Amino acid sequence: MTALVARPARQRFAGQREQAVALVHFRLMVVMLMFAGITAVIALRLVMLWAFSDRPSGADALHGLVPPRADLVDRNGVVLAGTIDAWKIAVHPQKIIGDREAIAVRLAQLLPERSLDVYRRILHSPRKFIYLRHEALPELVQAVNAIGEPGIVFERETRRYYPQGSLAAHVVGWTDQDGKAASGMELSLDKRLLDPLRRNRAVALSIDSRVQAAVESELMAAITKFSARAGTGIVLDVHTGEVIAMASLPSFDPNAPAKAPIANLANQATLSVYELGSTFKVITVANAIDSGVVTDMHRRFDATEPLHIGRFTIHDDHPQRRFLDVPELLVYSSNIATARVADEVGIDRTRAMFHKLGFDRPVDIELGARGRPLWPQFWARVTNMTVAYGHGIAVTPLHLANAYASIANGGIWRPATLMRRDPDQIPSGRRVISAATSARMRQLMRLVVMQGTGKNAEVAGFRIGGKTGTAEKPHGGGYQRNALVSTFAAVFPMDAPRYVVVAMLDEPHGTVDTGGYATAGMVAAPIVGKIVARVGPLLGVIPDDRREVDMTGLENTIWKPKADKH
Amino acid sequence: MTVDEKTAPPKPAAIPVRRKRKAGAARLGRADRSPLGTWFWEIDRVLLLLVLVLISIGLVAVAAASPAATERYSNGAYQLAPLHYFYRQAMWIAIALPTLIFVSMLPKEVARRLALSGATFFFVMLVMVPLIGSEVNGAKRWIGVGFMQFQPSEFLKPLFVVMIAWLLSLRSRDASLPVVPLTGVILAVVAALLMRQPDFGQTVIFASVWIALLMLSGVSMRILAWLGAAGVGCVVAAYMFYSVATERINNFLFAQGDTYQTDRAFDTMVNGGLMGTGPGAGTMKFRLPEPHTDYIFSVIGEEFGLISCLAIAVLYLAIVVRVFVRLLHEEDEFLLLASAGLVTEFGLQALINMMVNVQLAPSKGMTLPFISYGGSSMVALSIGMGLLLAFTRSNPYLTRSPYVVKWSGR
Repeated sequence: MTALVARPARQRFAGQREQAVALVHFRLMVVMLMFAGITAVIALRLVMLWAFSDRPSGADALHGLVPPRADLVDRNGVVLAGTIDAWKIAVHPQKIIGDREAIAVRLAQLLPERSLDVYRRILHSPRKFIYLRHEALPELVQAVNAIGEPGIVFERETRRYYPQGSLAAHVVGWTDQDGKAASGMELSLDKRLLDPLRRNRAVALSIDSRVQAAVESELMAAITKFSARAGTGIVLDVHTGEVIAMASLPSFDPNAPAKAPIANLANQATLSVYELGSTFKVITVANAIDSGVVTDMHRRFDATEPLHIGRFTIHDDHPQRRFLDVPELLVYSSNIATARVADEVGIDRTRAMFHKLGFDRPVDIELGARGRPLWPQFWARVTNMTVAYGHGIAVTPLHLANAYASIANGGIWRPATLMRRDPDQIPSGRRVISAATSARMRQLMRLVVMQGTGKNAEVAGFRIGGKTGTAEKPHGGGYQRNALVSTFAAVFPMDAPRYVVVAMLDEPHGTVDTGGYATAGMVAAPIVGKIVARVGPLLGVIPDDRREVDMTGLENTIWKPKADKH
Repeated sequence: MTVDEKTAPPKPAAIPVRRKRKAGAARLGRADRSPLGTWFWEIDRVLLLLVLVLISIGLVAVAAASPAATERYSNGAYQLAPLHYFYRQAMWIAIALPTLIFVSMLPKEVARRLALSGATFFFVMLVMVPLIGSEVNGAKRWIGVGFMQFQPSEFLKPLFVVMIAWLLSLRSRDASLPVVPLTGVILAVVAALLMRQPDFGQTVIFASVWIALLMLSGVSMRILAWLGAAGVGCVVAAYMFYSVATERINNFLFAQGDTYQTDRAFDTMVNGGLMGTGPGAGTMKFRLPEPHTDYIFSVIGEEFGLISCLAIAVLYLAIVVRVFVRLLHEEDEFLLLASAGLVTEFGLQALINMMVNVQLAPSKGMTLPFISYGGSSMVALSIGMGLLLAFTRSNPYLTRSPYVVKWSGR
């Protein structure tokens, strides 16, 4: 009972116990300091977050208020390219809790782009995350959500949308799957469209979608009627250089550019170069008048016989077999007389004029896809004669449109643009011909439509003037007789020019009502007439029978065998 | 103790019930000998106040996060009221707060025994989870159905701490008892069960608290160093062989895989700037997964500013410091270990959650104690905090450390 069993382990000296307590207290403080340290790190991190982190980008925070990419609108504010919200549908195959077979069947019904077997494989896939559909619309998202599978998830995404479809597709361009600009003004204006400070404001293009629609519809009708391979149409403001319409058909839908044939994606108005034929005669004549080679409209040039220069022979398509004055040269589109005029103008002045009109470099426009003109390697005497009527030099239709604008507007060349120009932004341009020459050329072009090859372009009251151009397409060193490029370049109203209209058909075929002819006067001139009749009033040009170009100085220039030609 | 017994008027309304009390004795005053009076006299009132402040902040924060969460879980067919989670949280607080008070009133001996039997009960439940548990978000952690669902690991956490503390405190009575290896085995079993769920975050907490308790119980630094090395080794091993950890850590270190959650949390956190967007004006919270639980700290950051986050971090630190400083004059080894363990567990969970939110740690499924929404976890936290309050209850004049300067002015 009284025996004491000593258990040394349980006996502690007072000092030892104090030491143990001191140790525990010491360690308590160590743990506490660790807490304090980690809290300090968190506090430091919070301060860093405040000081050094940007707030989430505007696109996220102000979602829906500021678009991630600015809209593109036409000159009147019609949206050509906008940004809308869409959804991505994806699946986490590992997280599916429902019946995979049933889900696969439902998915195959809702998203028919993949087969049932593919969906089975996707749902049993070992992968963590698979996209099922990009750019899904809300109804589809709702339907997929109704499957009730938490493994299927939805993510918001923004999608570039082109509400006008294929309208002005080549001008607007498109953005690729990842929303990156791929072509057209989307690409040219990419920086501006993405600029965080300016993307809340839409960018106005020079295009007028009403005019664009008219041009596209008339052009397409002609392409269909004449079984043409392609067609190009341009409407250009002669005073500002703004492109009001630019069509390259057949076109594509920028909402799904991958579905169109690759050839349709090219903008023929700025990328493709053509020998534009007789339309160049206007330039040659303007040059001749401006340089003083032709001072008298009654002066005649020999067009009785085809012209032999070395091994070349220059023929006329509508041979008159007589001497022609300058108005007759244009009205009957005489190659021979043009060659003789050009010979007198000379190589240097022809080259200088083409240079002033920008025919030696890609056309001045904001687009990236611009073709380089085919400029003659060597200017022989005969080269000078052929380029005078548009053979041996190839430029884009927009080059031609801009040259006509310069000739008709009083002689000032301005770079063309696809951006809407406010009155104070119009460049002063540079003079290519005198105002007097320009006035004379307006008379002459009007004469072509009144009495010459351009008769089919005449629309009462619109005072259209212009010039036809029918060129055979080059092929293997020669020319193909049955493959034509038929162009009509016009200006209206000729007494006070406002707009250039160029219509070009690539390889048109004659029909019964054109007598089998596919020449410009037969196939291209009517397009211009119809376009002008449709867009003239929209553009503020009211048809007026009481107005006409003053033909002073051209009296008795067109020889008529009888009292009336018809 | 602000009520002055001399000047405070008598409260006649209370007197009819408590006839025995001396007339003139102020309610909850030093002379109030009722259980409630005694409790209020002995309880660590500063700690209680801090916890109540935390719960209040939590209610406001859940109110802020609730619309974002309900929008996420609503759809065409099933609409939740915008403040659904706020009402639920208020309801759970109505259950949790009395639980907290009740537990903190238990005599220390009773509290210890109940905690030990509770630990055994929830340990069994944890074992049962793989058998009868239900799966949420790819992890099987929950037991029960509908309203009565709970995570056994949440409840086990404070009780486990008490159990380990008790086992380690036995060492002072008989140093020959192999308590350290024994607690190690218990931890290993619990950790294995947790990793199976999988719940990497809770495993880290259990292990860290165990190490902290070993350290406080006076285990030599040599063993601690070995344990620290083993801990690092375990994390490395988990990274290499445990797919959940591999994924989370890869996500964090190399921004690999699906970082959507953490990216959104970051956006939410920084969107408010220093002063916040103001209550209800947050926008990024709507893109945040789990805005009312794991990422509530980010929601607070967006709406109330980083300065509020700073204040909350300081509040958690204050709770930890308060308990640790008070423990400087606690000499009973069990009470010391249990209290220190409970507050360590509590503070650690808060720290990890905050570190995840400020992108200092890989994401884990862990809530911010007393602030995040969570029904059963609120009750579990209250039990833990109740136990802490019970263990730190003391007669303020009985033992007073000569090192601690009086600060209350009394």
